[in-house]
Amino acid sequence: MTRFTGPQMSRRNMLAALGITGAAAASLPLLSACGVGGKASAPNGAGEVSGGFDWRKASGQTINILQTPHPYQLSYQPLLKEFTELTGINVNVDLVPEADYFTKLNTELAGGSGKHDAFMLGAYFIWQYGPPGWIEDLNPWLQNTSATNAEYDFDDIFEGLRTSTRWDFTLGQPLGTGGQWAIPWGFENNVVAYNKRIFDEKGITKLPDRFDDFIQLAVDLTDRSQNRYGIATRGSKSWATIHPGFMTQYTREGAVDYTFNGSELIAEMDSDKAIEFTKKWIEMQHQAGPTSWTTYDYPNATGDLGDGKAMMVFDADSATYPKNKPGASKEAGNLAWYPGPAGPDGNYKTNLWTWSWAMSANSRNKLPAWLFMQWATGKESMNKAVEGGTYADPVRKSVFDTTFKRIAADQYGYLETFETVIGQSKIQFTPQKKFFDTTQNWAVALQDIYGGDDAASRLRSLAKTNTSKVNL
Amino acid sequence: MTTQTPKTTPTQPDRPAAPQARRELPTVPTWRRKLRPYLLSIPALVIVIGILYPFVVGAYYAFLNYAAVNPNPHFVWFDNFKSVLGDQVFWQSVKVTAIFAVAATAVETVLGVGLALLLNRSSIIGKIFEKVLILPLMIAPVIAGVIWKLMFNPQFGILNHVLGLGNTFDWLSSSHALFSVVLVDLWIFTPFVAILVLAGMRSLPKEPFEASEVDGASWFYMFRKLMLPMLWPYILVAVIFRFMDNLKVFDHIYVLTAGGPGVATRTLQIGAFEDSIINLDYSRGSTYMLLLWIIVFITARYLVSVLGKAQRRAAGAES
Repeated sequence: MTRFTGPQMSRRNMLAALGITGAAAASLPLLSACGVGGKASAPNGAGEVSGGFDWRKASGQTINILQTPHPYQLSYQPLLKEFTELTGINVNVDLVPEADYFTKLNTELAGGSGKHDAFMLGAYFIWQYGPPGWIEDLNPWLQNTSATNAEYDFDDIFEGLRTSTRWDFTLGQPLGTGGQWAIPWGFENNVVAYNKRIFDEKGITKLPDRFDDFIQLAVDLTDRSQNRYGIATRGSKSWATIHPGFMTQYTREGAVDYTFNGSELIAEMDSDKAIEFTKKWIEMQHQAGPTSWTTYDYPNATGDLGDGKAMMVFDADSATYPKNKPGASKEAGNLAWYPGPAGPDGNYKTNLWTWSWAMSANSRNKLPAWLFMQWATGKESMNKAVEGGTYADPVRKSVFDTTFKRIAADQYGYLETFETVIGQSKIQFTPQKKFFDTTQNWAVALQDIYGGDDAASRLRSLAKTNTSKVNL
Repeated sequence: MTTQTPKTTPTQPDRPAAPQARRELPTVPTWRRKLRPYLLSIPALVIVIGILYPFVVGAYYAFLNYAAVNPNPHFVWFDNFKSVLGDQVFWQSVKVTAIFAVAATAVETVLGVGLALLLNRSSIIGKIFEKVLILPLMIAPVIAGVIWKLMFNPQFGILNHVLGLGNTFDWLSSSHALFSVVLVDLWIFTPFVAILVLAGMRSLPKEPFEASEVDGASWFYMFRKLMLPMLWPYILVAVIFRFMDNLKVFDHIYVLTAGGPGVATRTLQIGAFEDSIINLDYSRGSTYMLLLWIIVFITARYLVSVLGKAQRRAAGAES
């Protein structure tokens, strides 16, 4: 038999081949440096729509939407078939729990896949998703009469919500400038919900109007032996710990997050007012909060209120509202609302959150996605969703003043609370592109102070770090 | 028993005579002969590229200023490393990762060896436990994290109730969180060590133990002088697996505490996740990952060299 005498691959050859392969692998990202992080965003699609408006303009097409399980989502779920009947557009819904929702969205948008044409979005996320061009500016769509129904009436949406979803991404510029990056769909005022049954039993008729009195009431209501505590708020290691009750009362007490000196933002979490308030807030958690406060998200807080363990919750009104519906919780029917303590000057400044609809800039189905968003935020579907009973705080004034006021009339204190705070309810944060990083740092600082760190020095360290980050 | 001797036939007249000369193999064209080794190595190269590509891209990002708010990055060379290494939070993450990895690996090893010794005795209870022991390994660490989070809950969790701790003891507070996440890791992975060591125990030769028993050696003496040295390579394999894994721990800690309270349980992986996925600062996250890779690489090299020595010693090649 003839021995195979072909070339043997020497170690040198093998190394050379691997070297070339390695160099090729390394050069790929270098070659694609321009497109690092997924493909470039597609141009705005509104200009491609012409002719008269017709709901059936994209009939036969299918869109994918991304949502998180929420009272708003649940209220609209049964109505989706009406949208399909109206437009001929099929809707595929993907649901991701809120704890993982934005992680999923971040990853998907950064990859530029455009898998989901439209998705639920909070206003703060616009500050991060807008600059890299991940989301579509909806202004051209709103202004295109071929794409937008003449009866849509965008101005019917509360002005504070319309401006909260606009920004031009310039440091120091307020909200309400630049593109319309999302359409408000539902919103939340962060106020206090309480267990009226227990309050009545204890003869508490006057609700505290000053923060110190509020803390005292929470402490008085706490009875650890009965597994009952005074006040539930969020405390987990997340930016979401800051924005509900904490930010609302922080603002009412006269503190601000940043000031703008003309060229850069200066973090003010270490101002005297901020330090004093933060100390009181943390002390309140120790004395009257849940034992495992540092793991608390809104489902824990509102769940404890519904179970009769927490006597008060300082969080989103729309998150506590469904707990009062018959059969929704143990304390259903016993819950009531009030604005929470006023500031020293009597102000009721309130931080709001808005769930909105945004469109992926890389969507391949922009017209059907826009028709869906228009339908979901329109008067007719919103009226029907509110009628369902768990959709609180519709964003349209016409729906709020008619259907919602009728539906929510039996919710003790709900509408009065809304009327009290709505004039001063807005996003109380300063818009900035490093919101999640810096606001999570804030939550970490609260946890550290809760764990025993000195409040003043920890907040000084936080302010120093955040000032350097927001101006990068 | 019968044996058959093969019948030999001196001649086979019905068969054609064997060809006198060997048949020449077909000539392979030179280019095909040259190409063949490269073609044969393609699968290996594809695998190598598949592994290397994400790594190289990650390493490349570590030298850029790439973030969601900065979609057109440029080289900043070692700025990210300077920034990360100068950050106290990074060193806290290194400390947490090291404490977690050492504590979890050490306790898992001791408990795993202990369990293996107990299970090595053939009894019905041992056989039942052997089956039950493997159950935590079948649960995804994320699910295990969720289960334990419920059990840790001071208001309704079973642990406080059973241990009589009332509703004021917080397992996930700043002072207890690291202990609690180690505890969950022990629950999931101690069986892994036990099963690996048990397999090693069952493969050991019986003769030295029988001889020692005849000589009147105590159980502890046999364990220390015979079993442990022979078992050492198996234990080291378990230690290497667990230590590498614990340096990279993420899932159940993230579910339990998200790295908190504060930074009490923030491991390097959680730091990388926070920077890359939550804050969308890909370059900073990649820097964390690259630094973690260096730590894992150096540790792995060291542990593998220790394992080599132990194997040679167990085989009697080294004293």
